[in-house]
Amino acid sequence: MRILLVEDDGPLAESLAKALRNEQFAVDVAADGETGAHLGASETYAAAILDLGLPKQDGLSVLKSWREQGRVLPVLILTARYGWSEKVEGFKAGADDYLTKPFRIEELVMRIRALVRRSAGHAGPRIACGRLNYDAQLGGFEFDGMPLRLTSFEWRVLSCLILRKENVVERMDILEQLYEGDASVDSNSLEVIVGRLRRKIGHAMIETVRGRGYRLTAGEA
Amino acid sequence: MRALNSIRGRLLLSGMLFTAVAVVIASLTVTSALDRFARRSVDASLEAQIALLSKAVGADGTLTRDRIESVGPFARPGSGWAWTITGPTGKLQSPTVTPLDPKAALPPERRDRPKGDPRGSDAGGPRDDDRRGRDGHRRRFRSGETETFYFRSAGIDTTTGPVTVTAGAPRYVRDRMREQALKPLLLSLAVLGVGLLLAMIAQLELGLRPLRRLAQSLARVRAGEQSRVTDPQPSELTAVVTELNVLLDHNEEALAKARAHVSNLAHGLKTPLATLSLRLAEPGRDPGGSLATLIAQIDGAIGHHLGRARAASPGAPGQPSIPLRPRLDDLVVALSRIHAAKAIGFTLDVPADLQVNCDPQDLDEMAGNLLDNACKWAAGAVQITARKDGRLVVLTIDDDGPGLSEAAAVAALVPGQRLDEQQQGHGFGLSIARELAELHDGSLVLTRSPQGGLRVILSLPASVQP
Repeated sequence: MRILLVEDDGPLAESLAKALRNEQFAVDVAADGETGAHLGASETYAAAILDLGLPKQDGLSVLKSWREQGRVLPVLILTARYGWSEKVEGFKAGADDYLTKPFRIEELVMRIRALVRRSAGHAGPRIACGRLNYDAQLGGFEFDGMPLRLTSFEWRVLSCLILRKENVVERMDILEQLYEGDASVDSNSLEVIVGRLRRKIGHAMIETVRGRGYRLTAGEA
Repeated sequence: MRALNSIRGRLLLSGMLFTAVAVVIASLTVTSALDRFARRSVDASLEAQIALLSKAVGADGTLTRDRIESVGPFARPGSGWAWTITGPTGKLQSPTVTPLDPKAALPPERRDRPKGDPRGSDAGGPRDDDRRGRDGHRRRFRSGETETFYFRSAGIDTTTGPVTVTAGAPRYVRDRMREQALKPLLLSLAVLGVGLLLAMIAQLELGLRPLRRLAQSLARVRAGEQSRVTDPQPSELTAVVTELNVLLDHNEEALAKARAHVSNLAHGLKTPLATLSLRLAEPGRDPGGSLATLIAQIDGAIGHHLGRARAASPGAPGQPSIPLRPRLDDLVVALSRIHAAKAIGFTLDVPADLQVNCDPQDLDEMAGNLLDNACKWAAGAVQITARKDGRLVVLTIDDDGPGLSEAAAVAALVPGQRLDEQQQGHGFGLSIARELAELHDGSLVLTRSPQGGLRVILSLPASVQP
């Protein structure tokens, strides 16, 4: 899962990106409103974390420009402005959640995961697919009731698949959630990661749909 | 002097003063003119008689009674008019009973008085003067009066010496003549004065009406029914109204600026605080969590004091009147997203026409904090009810959470009390809401909800419906 972080304060952006990467997310950082607006409009993200007080273009207008362009990615506003009037403004502009600085990283991560889950159409925090279980609140996978140990890349691919379980997920969509914006994409690496995942949860669960992508399935269908 | 503190009083007082002075001067002038007129008309009668009497005086000073004629009042017996002729050869006098004695009436020293002596010319008109009559005699005219009599006399030089011809009229004749003319004139002057006074009052009423209208306009601004003085004003007041509106703009700008400063300050403090909190969350940095608690305290204090600082200044004129329902609707949308995980059911029972007199941001702050608190504690339902109660709008927020004990309810309204160790937020929400409510002449009460949870009752001044 790839997150867009739009935050102009260097130290905070750095700490936040580090903390999010610890939680397996791929993170793209934009240091000003213009860059943020451009990235959010042109790339596909699972969610965006948007500061309001940004140089060049303020957060609210970035958010409005995304919504006007039909970008539906879930957006969490992160701001030092705590007034309820500002919060209402933010929600009216199309925000999905709001967090005031300072915040606990667990809180932020929990809220991001919840936003991504709800935007994929899952009401409850637990998503099951056969013997595989995903706790969308804590971000952990269980296989046969046992915690599944995954690398970041494996987690990003698997979470992408389970959020759209029983549906074909295009290769391109997975790749977009896999790599950070400045990483060099090796298109063969997706096959490698899927191969490793298959060894952990069984071959049958991840179907290859030739020419399109992959499908996570419980197998009985 | 209270009268001098009002424009109306000043104008009325000065107008009255000027009118009175003008009326007094006018009546003095008219009186003296009439006086002169009356004297002249009596003088004319007297001089005519003197001219007739002069015919009885011969060039050698002899007096011939047969040549004497009387005209006008002198011819009427009992009119009180009288004459005498005194010369070196004798004395003639009118048949009427008369106290006229020129010697007594014209004391000898009078002749020595210089011309223009006040006593000799106090009524104006020809007094001591020399004139040549139609008969060729040179006459020296002189006037004088006794207590009851006014007379005029002429000295005629004859070969044997001066002859004095005197004709007189009772004083009341002149006085009555003057009074008869004076009475209606003074009366009309008085009517004029009263008329002017009434006109002045009417003028003031009319002229000061825009000021009263301006005061009403300002009262509406203060009551929040309108934000600026927009009614058309007479040209003299346009400058005042423009200045007033500029002042109101300025106030609003100052508030906006202060809020922006506070916002910037919050941003400047909270962003590094957020970084600090993230760094501390890294493994091994803050094992006991005590530093995180400190950060929470700092954050709470910033939130509280900045929240206080950004509130609309107390007593600022013209808290706008704002509809309650749309703002609550917006807040409910925001809160249902913030607390999306709990899927809270909101019940909103708020009539659409309820309006409160309150700064909109402050209202958002109060209702937002209260609803947020309710959402944090609710098991699944939050009920919002608002009713008008006299001059107040009473907003009641119920949740179905665990509620608060009486002691906890008291503690909850003290700034900085953390009742919720597990829940995020630092216990400032309720106390900020209470402070803001009191700032707006409202109140905040915590009690137990019939649903078992907490009931918060927020009362705010209802806006006066026009």
